[in-house]
Amino acid sequence: MRPTIIHLRHTLMLAATISLLFSLVVYFLYAANLLAFPYDYDQGEGFEVHDTVIFSRGELPYRDTEVYPFYASNYPPLFHVMAAPFVWFFGPAYWYGRLLGFIGSLISAVAISYAVYRDGQRQAWISLLAGLAFLSSNFVYHIGPLYRQHTMMVTFETLAVVLLASAFPRRDRRGIAIALLLLICAGYTKQLAAISAVAAITWMFLRAPRRAAAWTAAFVMAGSAIFLALNIASGGQWWLQAVVANVNDFMREQAFGLFLLWFKLHGFLLIPAVLLLIYETYIDRLSLYSIWFAAAALLGGIASGTWGAGDSYLVTSVAAMCILSGIFFSRIVTQNLRLPRAFSIANISAAAAIVIPLLYLGYARATLKMPTDGSFQPIGELLGIKANVREDFYDSATFDVGGYAHIGYFLTPADHAAGDRIVELIRATDKPVLSEEAGFTMAAGRDVVTNPTQLRNLHLAGQFKGEQLIEMIEGQQFGLVILRALFYPPPVLEALDRFYEHQKSVRMNDFDYLILRPKIAEEP
Amino acid sequence: MVILRLRPPPLHFTAPANLTKLPLMDSDDRAITKRQLGIALAVIGILGFAGILAIDLIDVGRQGGIGPAQSLALLLMAALTIIGLSLVPLGDAPA
Repeated sequence: MRPTIIHLRHTLMLAATISLLFSLVVYFLYAANLLAFPYDYDQGEGFEVHDTVIFSRGELPYRDTEVYPFYASNYPPLFHVMAAPFVWFFGPAYWYGRLLGFIGSLISAVAISYAVYRDGQRQAWISLLAGLAFLSSNFVYHIGPLYRQHTMMVTFETLAVVLLASAFPRRDRRGIAIALLLLICAGYTKQLAAISAVAAITWMFLRAPRRAAAWTAAFVMAGSAIFLALNIASGGQWWLQAVVANVNDFMREQAFGLFLLWFKLHGFLLIPAVLLLIYETYIDRLSLYSIWFAAAALLGGIASGTWGAGDSYLVTSVAAMCILSGIFFSRIVTQNLRLPRAFSIANISAAAAIVIPLLYLGYARATLKMPTDGSFQPIGELLGIKANVREDFYDSATFDVGGYAHIGYFLTPADHAAGDRIVELIRATDKPVLSEEAGFTMAAGRDVVTNPTQLRNLHLAGQFKGEQLIEMIEGQQFGLVILRALFYPPPVLEALDRFYEHQKSVRMNDFDYLILRPKIAEEP
Repeated sequence: MVILRLRPPPLHFTAPANLTKLPLMDSDDRAITKRQLGIALAVIGILGFAGILAIDLIDVGRQGGIGPAQSLALLLMAALTIIGLSLVPLGDAPA
């Protein structure tokens, strides 16, 4: 390769690295901003904090929702169990769960870089870019520093896949056992990990059906034993709350919209990943990464169209995409591809030296999101971007697609003050408070009453009558009701409408929280 | 009925002492071939396609015909069949 080409390649690689590192800086600042916020940023985070509190007491959150406090969780336990020790030292708080999720995303990125380095002929620079590309994804950025189990599930999945890809062909029994254990951990962090488990088992069967059957049997037995233990310990509530109440309607428009957005944001790396998948399907052997990518993109993408799902359901496919595209680039650079004679691998490799950094540069631009005010203003002006989702934030994805989380912007002191105001309102009443967000009631030291989305799902499954809750509403036993998204089942909302009235709205984090008080009985 | 052909089992031999310490690769496992994978995918695709259509025929009480989830599943099954059939000519190469 000519010195000028080498110089150009290094310059472009450096530019791609700086672009993705800029994205990483924004991600760190966003995480720091969120860690300092003591209330819900994404709807439902508070209920995950509450699940953690319940686990920290040695209890299970899979409970009967017909009796006070009408609370149950629909999430598997592991993430909350991991965060439970923090409750013993710091009490209920958001920061440690958000920190765990954020660290989980960084671990995933390191695992992706390692996989590309190990399985891609030790191309260190490409490996670095592959890991940074994962953290630059808008989907990862959104959910990484939230008090959510999803990021930790992806971390377990990524570690499992990277380990299994190496351990299974080498017959490394310890490595295979740990990888399958990590997959079980992923499944008991969030149910969606079943897709990765199916991909891993399928790949093992392709490689060595007999050994795969033995390992799968052990895997299923271990996973089922935990399932049964949880169901027995919760008196059958685990099955009802985590399985029955998790079946939601499929919305085709949401799934298609998210698929298109997924491609628009990640296309620069999706196409190389798909090319390697096709190459392995027809010319080479299918790698675990390819099967994982296909399963996560297809099944995760379809699942993203269900009610309550969203862009986060495609994060696993982004992790697989980063590994697959990184390995593809490494194999091109090292000329480690068997191509038909019509193609000259040497020429392709020479061209790729320039094209690869350009693809990562294009990806960095496609996934750009950043504040546009303060110290970011000159950078925004330099890049020629303007705020497009709020007055102070730019997101290349925009907020136009259904299911795409409308978050990512930084919180302000006004948001903190608004949350404090709601907590003061709760403290001013002696009665229990019905709130659609658990963070306020926890901050006020009150009971967390109900989990609205869970009651909605149970109601749709014909598993929630709500007689006692409606009785309490009709008896105006709640001193205050705080609504945000009106997720309660229709009979509960109708009772609230009859016996409570809107007093004021408090705007926090771009949402209007409706404060309702008991209606005063009219004079006959 | 489709019978998947497996390769004959490898001949047993005693490895030289200096080879027994090498890490065992999966090359001696009976890996699924591209043809077998192709047939399996095509069978799943065809049966899945027929099964999804049969939902409407069997469940006569259903209203509204083929829904959005069903049409998506039909598309997937058709794609699976085509990919499967395209793999069959690739023969005994490991999948």
